Amino acid sequence: MEEQVEMVGKAFVDHYYHLFDNNRTALLSLYQPTSMLTFEGQRIHGVDGISAKLNQLPFDQCCHVISTVDSQVSAFAGGIVVFVSGSLQLQGEEHPLRFSQMFHLIPTGQGSYFVQNDMFRLNYG
Amino acid sequence: MDPDAVAKAFVEHYYSTFDANRAGLANLYQDGSMLTFEGQKIMGSQNIVAKLTSLPFQQCQHAITTVDCQPSGPAGGMLVFVSGNLQLAGEQHALKFSQMFHLMPTPQGSFYVLNDIFRLNYA
Repeated sequence: MEEQVEMVGKAFVDHYYHLFDNNRTALLSLYQPTSMLTFEGQRIHGVDGISAKLNQLPFDQCCHVISTVDSQVSAFAGGIVVFVSGSLQLQGEEHPLRFSQMFHLIPTGQGSYFVQNDMFRLNYG
Repeated sequence: MDPDAVAKAFVEHYYSTFDANRAGLANLYQDGSMLTFEGQKIMGSQNIVAKLTSLPFQQCQHAITTVDCQPSGPAGGMLVFVSGNLQLAGEQHALKFSQMFHLMPTPQGSFYVLNDIFRLNYA
């Protein structure tokens, strides 16, 4: 039987990548002013900056296929760390890109989570 | 101390200990520490070190490609996201891996690993 934290992690991951692939502008609902993103080494702070970065990535359509999701309680304030690996297929590209990503989720107080920390790296062959 | 410098120093210390003296990793974990190693969950310093020292290879060498870090919140924690290669003695090709650590400060001014998640990156 799956632990609670693994269920939350999987549900979040499904929601995050579904939004990313279908309605990228809606991702900003998952970040707050204190949120941080490190995208391929570039550091970005806050909702506007993160939203701008994700919406300006040089591709319109993409599809994330998730291989692994590991979650753990981060043991303060109900936070959860989630570690993802998978593939990113860009439209028109022959081969998918492999990536790893980690999220630190903090409860919003309304029964959901926001992304406090987000780090993304492509995994080159 | 600069957080990036702290993260790099931790990563160097962690992997050089792993590669030279795996049992020495024990003082980087505490009772509440959690490791998820290729999907297997292990809790507490003793169990974690037992898992790491029983991995099916004697000698290994980690070569780190990327280290990213961010502060995790008001408790002074730090998230560290690593990717690199793991060369096992006798194997022709290195394995690629990613790992994340959530470090928490100790009263003595250093850090311990609260959360640790490791995954091999298959092609």
